[in-house]
Amino acid sequence: MAFTRKYRSEETKDKISAYLYISPFFIIFAIIGLYPAIFSLFLAFQKWNGLGEMSFVGLNNFKVVLQDPIFWKALYNTIVMGIMGTAPQIIVGIILAFILNQAYLKFKNTFRAMVFLPYITSMVAVALVFGVFFSNNDTALANYILNIFGMDTVAWKTSEWGAKIAISIMVFWRWIGYNTIIYLAGLQSIPKDLYEAARIDGANTFQQLRYITIPLLKPFIVLTVFFSTVGALQLFTEPTVFLGTQAFSRTEAMTVVMYLYRDAFSLQSFGTGSATAVILLFIIVVASAINTYLTSGIRKKGKGIKS
Amino acid sequence: MKKKFKISRFFVYLFLIVAGFFSVFPFYWMFVMATRPSAAYNSIPPTLTPGEQLVENFQKVLEKTPFFGAMFNTLIVCLVVTLVVLLISSLAGFAFAKFKFPGKNIFFVSILLTMIIPPQLGLIPQYYLVAKFGLLDTLFGAMIIFFLNPLGIFLMRQYISQSVPDELVEAAKLDGCSNFRIFRSVVLPIILPAFATLGIIVFTATWGEFLWQFTVLRDPDMYTIQVALSSMNTTSNVDFGMILSGVFWATIPLVIVFLMFNKLFISSITEGSIK
Amino acid sequence: MKKSKLVLMISILSVMILSLVACGGDKESSGGKDGEVTLNFWVFGATNYEELAKEYEKENPGVKIKVKTSETDDHHNSLFTSLSAGSGAPDIAMLEIDQLDRFKEAQDRFVNLYDVGAKEVQDQYLDWKWQIGENSDGDFLFGLPTDIGPKAMFYRTDLFEEAGLPTEPDEVEALIQSKEDFIKAGQQIKEKTGKPLLDSMEMAYRAIIDGAEESFFDEEGNLLIENEGNAVRQAYDLAIELNELGLVGEYEMWTPEWGNAVNNGDFAIELGAAWLKGWMLDNAPDASGKFRIATLPTEFAGNWGGSYIAVPAETEHEEEAYEFVKWLVSPDNQLASFKSDAGLFPSSPDVYEMDEFKNTEDEFFGGQSTAQYFANAAQDISFIYKGTKYKPAHDEILNAMNNVQQQGGDPEEEWAAAVERIKDLVSR
Repeated sequence: MAFTRKYRSEETKDKISAYLYISPFFIIFAIIGLYPAIFSLFLAFQKWNGLGEMSFVGLNNFKVVLQDPIFWKALYNTIVMGIMGTAPQIIVGIILAFILNQAYLKFKNTFRAMVFLPYITSMVAVALVFGVFFSNNDTALANYILNIFGMDTVAWKTSEWGAKIAISIMVFWRWIGYNTIIYLAGLQSIPKDLYEAARIDGANTFQQLRYITIPLLKPFIVLTVFFSTVGALQLFTEPTVFLGTQAFSRTEAMTVVMYLYRDAFSLQSFGTGSATAVILLFIIVVASAINTYLTSGIRKKGKGIKS
Repeated sequence: MKKKFKISRFFVYLFLIVAGFFSVFPFYWMFVMATRPSAAYNSIPPTLTPGEQLVENFQKVLEKTPFFGAMFNTLIVCLVVTLVVLLISSLAGFAFAKFKFPGKNIFFVSILLTMIIPPQLGLIPQYYLVAKFGLLDTLFGAMIIFFLNPLGIFLMRQYISQSVPDELVEAAKLDGCSNFRIFRSVVLPIILPAFATLGIIVFTATWGEFLWQFTVLRDPDMYTIQVALSSMNTTSNVDFGMILSGVFWATIPLVIVFLMFNKLFISSITEGSIK
Repeated sequence: MKKSKLVLMISILSVMILSLVACGGDKESSGGKDGEVTLNFWVFGATNYEELAKEYEKENPGVKIKVKTSETDDHHNSLFTSLSAGSGAPDIAMLEIDQLDRFKEAQDRFVNLYDVGAKEVQDQYLDWKWQIGENSDGDFLFGLPTDIGPKAMFYRTDLFEEAGLPTEPDEVEALIQSKEDFIKAGQQIKEKTGKPLLDSMEMAYRAIIDGAEESFFDEEGNLLIENEGNAVRQAYDLAIELNELGLVGEYEMWTPEWGNAVNNGDFAIELGAAWLKGWMLDNAPDASGKFRIATLPTEFAGNWGGSYIAVPAETEHEEEAYEFVKWLVSPDNQLASFKSDAGLFPSSPDVYEMDEFKNTEDEFFGGQSTAQYFANAAQDISFIYKGTKYKPAHDEILNAMNNVQQQGGDPEEEWAAAVERIKDLVSR
């Protein structure tokens, strides 16, 4: 009797601790995040130019957006660039992390720093560098290389696929280091003796990767897939700086967030901008659910939610 | 057998060197431009070796912007944001990984949902709040929205549930440790590598942030580095040598921070394996 | 060891947060010392306003002016955000002419400068410039005029010579009196040197649109582009025509390639405003001495750029703010702004009469004294109405031209598509 009572009070204490520990996030969110969220939702049903009076327009904003071919183009662009820019990151990131975690590797620190460097480099510099490598002219480095192989010059900023490919490369380049170090952190949580045992059993590097690393890294892969999906669907900074002044007037590489930013800040239509944000929210929820489900496969109840 | 092994290692190094080259090249190019006059940016064939204007370009940066003041502000913003995020994330991650409480999954999913609102649209209402709190032109106003970092909570939950054995937590409990003490003495030492990772990510992301800080900081004394750098980039005067010099010198501290965290990362691993 | 480090880290953190929050509280109590007024002043682009503000502080003890300079788009968006949120706007803000109409919708967020006595300085400025700063009824003044952007012809003497054309400004003016002359000269240059007349289709398009009294919208907000004889269509047609004749290059403005082309003389004529010189000085040093200035044919005269200075209604010091603005854009200071590196062209005709203005010889233009050309152009300009959505609509036309030039699109189809997109923009 005494034992169960003590147990119960222990459980209550745990509950209190847990709520206490997660509360900072929610308190800060309540202060700074909740109002913007509600405000955006509210705006989606209003017509507002940012300065004057608001007027209620019901679902009209959604109608305007969903009937706009540019919105669908933007969604298509976002998905295409998301697949081209982020999917390879995950695969290459795993391989890089696996290699960088090898015990025999020399200059580990140097290589890690090198791979992470793009993420540190400021967006201004990235925009300038990629602007030069992928300009529309023959003198652009990318075109120079294409010409060597006898291919035609590509208008990297204004052609349908040129712009998408250039931006995808930029996204890939900039975020690969980020994913790699998350995987590296994940690898730290894998006990070293597992590899030891596998090596003794005669498993080669590929087998180690296939049977130890990937299964145990899976929660981290799911994590990055989720965050990459959200990040890809919210793609904004890279295309904006790459395209410069043309970013909001051309549609080859306009993403959904660029579309809503253009609505709000250059067309002064905060209602349709917010409506787009609400639509995007649904798309993100669905896409990340699908992607997370696909990567985790038919997952047995993981270690994470343990009783 | 042994020989084959060596060949594979050769390819591993080759792969790393190629990857490293592509990673570093734009950074190197930035350095080259930082040492040359503006016209080098346009030249054909491209300029690939450093020139001799390193000091000169940087002097121009110092003339045009409050460079060191802005660096100091940025450092404070980044440090505070990083520490707050590490604290919030590790506590919440600990709770989600090791405790049972009603509504756990709902809370966890709602953290997810908070990151789905595109930040560009939240700009005006968030600005409105910060202005109402009287936090315009304060570093606290510049950092407050970055305290919300769902990735941190996710990463920490995953790491803690995977690398902190339940038995250890149970044992500490039986010894009569309070929950916070368990967190401090048992969990924290184990999750240092994840701290290093998250720390690097948060620190660099905050360092590169522009839009929000530009919106809430209008007093040049309060500028963070990205805001200061952007103020010298006006369309009518495009001095690439100067701009890239500013960008280059603003990036160097990050490289140092990375190497520091990375050391923590490595040392904690080796220490862990000795235990 | 490690544990103690962590404890240390956490304690530093809490101290920092507390001190910062405390700091944040302190900062808000504005005003400072007794009787001292601090004016926040936001500007964009290249100006000499920081130096002028320092001078003003010296002459007026008790007034402090904090100047914040930003990039054009960032500046306007940031100003928009603070006006929209109704808090945090500066005491004084510069507004670019193309962005002005967007802010006119927020009349209640600005001080009517007529209420603080702006009528008394009205006759110092060009009428058309002043009128653009008013609301449509003419009873509310948003800002005082700063600089303007009258356009003139910047031509390369080396290319003109190579093509067997005259190189003296008077002769060039006599040669190019109309659109037809302009094209004829272009064809001769193309033939003899192989180089295009203009850098881009945008420049050709601007030749007409920058001078048009009405472009996309009328003051009621009706879309005019489908009307017979609309200036946008005329401008577009000119750009298409020049493109078909091979007289325009593909140097898109403000790109490094464009800078390079200006520097090397890869095209013969730039239809630039006065401020373009400042840009050339910095970015095309090799072009020094190669360009001369001549007056444009009347049908191509126009204004490109220029600004106003407004006082947002939030300010607690509207009198002081207005006094400073009045001083800042007074004829004498406009002369100073003109002579500074920023080269802001005065909007006050009084300045055009000053000897110092007339006699400035310009080394970049081979010692030509150029100010008079722009001053003449400035007086030929008339009131221009643009409308809130001018910029996005303008971008759609640029898009269409780009598609024609670079993707080989059909001019008629591209025009029709652009009109459709503009209609959609308007419906938002």
